[in-house]
Amino acid sequence: MTFFQGLKMALLSIKYNKMRSILTMLGIIIGVLSVIVLVSIGQGAGDQVTSRIKALGSNTLTVTITSNSSKSFTASELMELAGSNGIENISPSLSSSVTTKSGSQTDEDTKIIGIYPSYESIAGDTLDYGRYITDVDIEYKLTNAVVGVDVATNLFGTTDCIGETITIENKQFTIVGVLTSTGTSSTSNDDERIIIPFSTAQRIFLQSSIKSFYVSTTSEDTITQAENKISSFLDDKLGVTSTVSSDGTTTNSSYKIYNQNELIETVASTTSTLTAMLGGIAGISLLVGGIGIMNIMLVSVSERTKEIGIRKAIGAKRKDILLQFLIESIVISLSGGVIGLLLGYICTIILSNVLSMTLAISGGLVLLAIGFSVAVGVVFGLYPANTASKLRPIEALRHD
Amino acid sequence: MLVLNNIKKRYAMGEETVNALDDVSITIQDKEFVSIVGPSGSGKSTLMNIVGCLDSADEGTYILFGTDVTHLSDRQLSEVRNKKIGFIFQGFNLLSKLTALENVELPLIYQGISANERKEKAIEALKKVGLEGRVKHRPTELSGGQQQRVAIARALVTNPSLILADEPTGNLDSKSGKEIIALLHELNDNGNTIMLITHDMSLAKEAQRSIEIRDGKIVNENIYRAGDAI
Ligand SMILES: Nc1ncnc2c1ncn2[C@@H]1O[C@H](COP(=O)(O)OP(=O)(O)OP(=O)(O)O)[C@@H](O)[C@H]1O
Ligand SMILES: [Mg+2]
Repeated sequence: MTFFQGLKMALLSIKYNKMRSILTMLGIIIGVLSVIVLVSIGQGAGDQVTSRIKALGSNTLTVTITSNSSKSFTASELMELAGSNGIENISPSLSSSVTTKSGSQTDEDTKIIGIYPSYESIAGDTLDYGRYITDVDIEYKLTNAVVGVDVATNLFGTTDCIGETITIENKQFTIVGVLTSTGTSSTSNDDERIIIPFSTAQRIFLQSSIKSFYVSTTSEDTITQAENKISSFLDDKLGVTSTVSSDGTTTNSSYKIYNQNELIETVASTTSTLTAMLGGIAGISLLVGGIGIMNIMLVSVSERTKEIGIRKAIGAKRKDILLQFLIESIVISLSGGVIGLLLGYICTIILSNVLSMTLAISGGLVLLAIGFSVAVGVVFGLYPANTASKLRPIEALRHD
Repeated sequence: MLVLNNIKKRYAMGEETVNALDDVSITIQDKEFVSIVGPSGSGKSTLMNIVGCLDSADEGTYILFGTDVTHLSDRQLSEVRNKKIGFIFQGFNLLSKLTALENVELPLIYQGISANERKEKAIEALKKVGLEGRVKHRPTELSGGQQQRVAIARALVTNPSLILADEPTGNLDSKSGKEIIALLHELNDNGNTIMLITHDMSLAKEAQRSIEIRDGKIVNENIYRAGDAI
């Protein structure tokens, strides 16, 4: 008997027990479906967080100063760090949320950030119109502003609004540049922000000391070197001593240095643990589905004892009977797996719209689902198939 | 040639043991038409199961066409049944979900014969039993006589040396019964060895030789016609 013959027999038997086969498949369908959906949600959530972190640049350090001591440092002292110890660019920052006006139009809840020109390369900003903040803007505390496309369209109905004036905190600003759209994500909108000179921001918000700054390093490899330089600089200026633990993280109550790579690693390992856990829980339902197959196959074998007897009497070997029943259980579990995969695919499409996150079914996940359902068919089909093949023809024939 | 020597088969029923076959020795020549006759419970089916390699004897030897089958493996016995023996069972024993054609094809599937050749041979066998018009019918869509003829087609499709028929006319009216017996004669004329099992004395006379058993023992032997092979 060939494999093809076995397949034909299996399909025939499934066709004659349609309802039963579908119900048996249901166990596998639900198992594979839940594995696919849960694992892709886990992976999607992880990807979303890491991509948001990566958007800041993987060789970026974010520093926030939490100390309230009178000791401080100036922007020019900070800027001197750039160009050595792996530090490429550095920019202090001062951000807030404001309402802006132009004539009768207002734009509420706009993020405003005061920076140095070097921020352009740290944040990877690009311009559609005009120019970025310059050293001259900083030096003379000019009221020039670079705006995101959403700010421009909300206030002027056009993105080309160079030379227009807007009112921020009762001060008139001139728009000198419009940023390229970065696209919208569900939680933050980078197109709705206003960039102004750091010195101007300090004056508006009455903040003399630097509370946060951004650093970009020459490459990912120099991050640690840059981190060390910055922490010794801050220790010196703020008059504190920080402890460096064995894995290189700096612990200190006066400031915090955030390293994107560390953050990505932490998020990735957390989400992969979460994904594995979700997959494992879903895997249990697949196991239950497998036991369902075994149950039905055993029923099928005892119902078809006479058939097995007839087949053996006219020359079927043990191997032939074994193959016939094994193929039957694999066909049921594999069909269930494929249907579960298709339904899982549809579910992730629906869910990614509902949750507004990208849920991708990876090739590995497809292989895992298919491989697992075949394995379930083999493992749980083997015992009933073996039972069938071992029936003695004379006893099987007497059965009715 | 079939040689059964001192075959014994016992069944334990609680305290008692039933001697289904008690020291039976039979020799059947190639191309012979032999009938086994006896009352119900005399051991006829037990004998056929042993002759057909479906069951093994407790004692004694059985040599089928020169091979001692007493010590063959499960796999080898399957092959012997497949290639050398055709069964016509008392209760037809067709697979109800398969068509007449598919039922007849079944022994050929286990021989590993290609689909085209299989179909060709199966149709030829169905023609021999006069069922070429019922190829696509399932057993439930056929009369008892037609079902028995499908079973005969299945038995002869592999052209086995030995055909075993257990009460082939048991469930049929006398007209259908006669047709079946005529078919057996035709097969015998073509050179197949035939063993017909029946409790009906008049049917037993259709054979060249009739062996009568009672309580597992041979009690009588009648020769009705001299066969070509004897
Ligand atoms: N599996 C079994 N277990 C126990 N006893 C059995 C078994 N098979 C047959 N027997 C006994 O062996 C004896 C012979 O049975 P067998 O089936 O060979 O009779 P038979 O001649 O074919 O009868 P019938 O004409 O009714 O078919 C009977 O007494 C029966 O009860
Ligand atoms: Mg009987």
